[in-house]
Amino acid sequence: MRPARVESISGRILRQFRHDPRSLALIAIVPLMVMALVGYLLSEGKERLPVAVVDLDAGADTPGGHVAIGSEVVKALQGQNQIEVRIVRSAAEARNRVGSGDVAGAVVLTSGLSQDVIAGQPSDIRVVVGGTDPGLEGPVMRAVGGALASLRASGTLPVGGERAALSLQVERVPIRGANGLSTLDYYAPVMIAVFAFLFTFMLTSVAFLRERSTGTLERLMASPATRIEVILGYLLGFIGFAMVQAVVILGYAVWVLDVRVAGSIWLVLLIIAVLVIGVVSLGITLSFYARNELQVVQFIPLIFVPQVFLGGLIWPVQTLWPGLRWLSQLLPLTHAAVALRGVMVGGMSIGDIAGRLLALLAFSVAMVILGVQVLRNQRA
Amino acid sequence: MGQTAAIEATGIVRTFGRVRALDGLDLSVATGEILGLVGPNGAGKTTFIRVVAGLLRPVEGHMTVLGQPPGRRVAADIGYMTQSPALYEDLPVLDNLVFFGRLFGLAIADARARAAELMDLVALSEKRHVPVRDLSGGMRQLTNLACAMVHRPRLLLLDEPTVGVDPVLRRILWAYFGELNAAGSTILITTHVMDEAARCQRVAMIGSGRTLAVGTPQELCLRTGTVMLEDAYLAFSAAIAAPMQPEVSG
Repeated sequence: MRPARVESISGRILRQFRHDPRSLALIAIVPLMVMALVGYLLSEGKERLPVAVVDLDAGADTPGGHVAIGSEVVKALQGQNQIEVRIVRSAAEARNRVGSGDVAGAVVLTSGLSQDVIAGQPSDIRVVVGGTDPGLEGPVMRAVGGALASLRASGTLPVGGERAALSLQVERVPIRGANGLSTLDYYAPVMIAVFAFLFTFMLTSVAFLRERSTGTLERLMASPATRIEVILGYLLGFIGFAMVQAVVILGYAVWVLDVRVAGSIWLVLLIIAVLVIGVVSLGITLSFYARNELQVVQFIPLIFVPQVFLGGLIWPVQTLWPGLRWLSQLLPLTHAAVALRGVMVGGMSIGDIAGRLLALLAFSVAMVILGVQVLRNQRA
Repeated sequence: MGQTAAIEATGIVRTFGRVRALDGLDLSVATGEILGLVGPNGAGKTTFIRVVAGLLRPVEGHMTVLGQPPGRRVAADIGYMTQSPALYEDLPVLDNLVFFGRLFGLAIADARARAAELMDLVALSEKRHVPVRDLSGGMRQLTNLACAMVHRPRLLLLDEPTVGVDPVLRRILWAYFGELNAAGSTILITTHVMDEAARCQRVAMIGSGRTLAVGTPQELCLRTGTVMLEDAYLAFSAAIAAPMQPEVSG
């Protein structure tokens, strides 16, 4: 083995990168961006989640005077910095607001709370969380747990052996009569959106890059074909491909994994089709900014990771800073995931998801226009 | 009809940043002729062909191709053979031909018939179902040429079609060009190989984006008192360069 040869090969690789400033920049930018996002999303103290609180506790009279454990709990909840307490009047209203997604969860303090606690009887605090977004359950439960812990620490609530007397009872609000929603039911629609996006983007951008590098694009441009014909041809080809893929994933999810599809399967396919139109055009557009396959691959985390992190796929959009929440509304995966979830889990109709569908359509139209514009520069 | 020029270019300028790839090029290609565009690398041959094909817009000058401004409107009558084979490598020869045929407006049955005819012509019928990536370099070049001719263009633009081609295949290719021309196609062919240029009916010598001289190979040799086209080219480029040289008084 001659070290000089090894050194010449490694040296050449480094020199090649030096002549590829875009790759160098991406190597630095992409991990920094991903780290910043993960760091932010995993850190506490983001946006406060709205939580509805119903204090029905009638209080209890003791030799020492009137005691109202309920209002103590409310105060303790208000002291929790992950949540923002919104007082509501009835348990029914609280459930409604959870069901509609207006609040992340609700805490119901029953009328006999103080009396039970004073008498040493078992009692419970009911925590209502929505079936729509399991991601919100954790932060709400942590906040309630934190409030109770602080009350125990201050001596307001009994500790030690009587601790078990006051328990948290979790109630999950089903959406649209969908009982027994599993985590898989919840994440399957997202996975379909993610796969449709990722594979369509990779295939289109690489296919178009090849079209450019092999010179066939030059041939297309020298033909009577118009730019819109080229884009439409690509769209139809890839939509067909993405639909086959969606059907495969959907079929596996439904028949093998037993994932529910409460709404129309055609609506599911329509959402994917609209998403794919935008993604194909995005792939075409971005492929013009890549000189080789390596650079296309580097675009993937740049385009994809923010959508996964900010699109409510893993972390609920409600927990984001207002700026990022606003940004998430510009990302197609956000709308696709919400719409697919709505249809598959919630059995929503086209009218219910019209807003999301329109947002996806707007994204797709914008991307097609951008793609045509980029092709125009090809014939200059 | 014979009088109308297939390509009429006057004062064509095309820049890339600060580089003037075409610097006032004039050229007229008569209908039905084979005109060889010769010049060294960087002379502007490919840039000119791309302007004719409608892929590049000149920043100055005027051009008509088959009586119209270059672009999509005349694209169906032009066949453009790129320097390196521009083909879909994963697709078989037949599919490439049918695809380009349909792109240029042939009906599917017509495109298939034409593809079969061309594969016979370039002796690739046996390879019709072989993906392009599995073909030899010469076969790819033949497929590339066939793709440029599939829609029976009136004007063929051939950009260095014989680069990297062995002498046998080169001869075959030139025989095709001759046949196409005899069948009525106008051919503009770029080359930097002078003995190939000698096969053209007329030759346009260009250098630094400008026309140096146009004429039949014999005329060009006669005008410069040379025997070889290569020497004629050098004489013309020296004559153009000379006025720019500081005068030396004797």
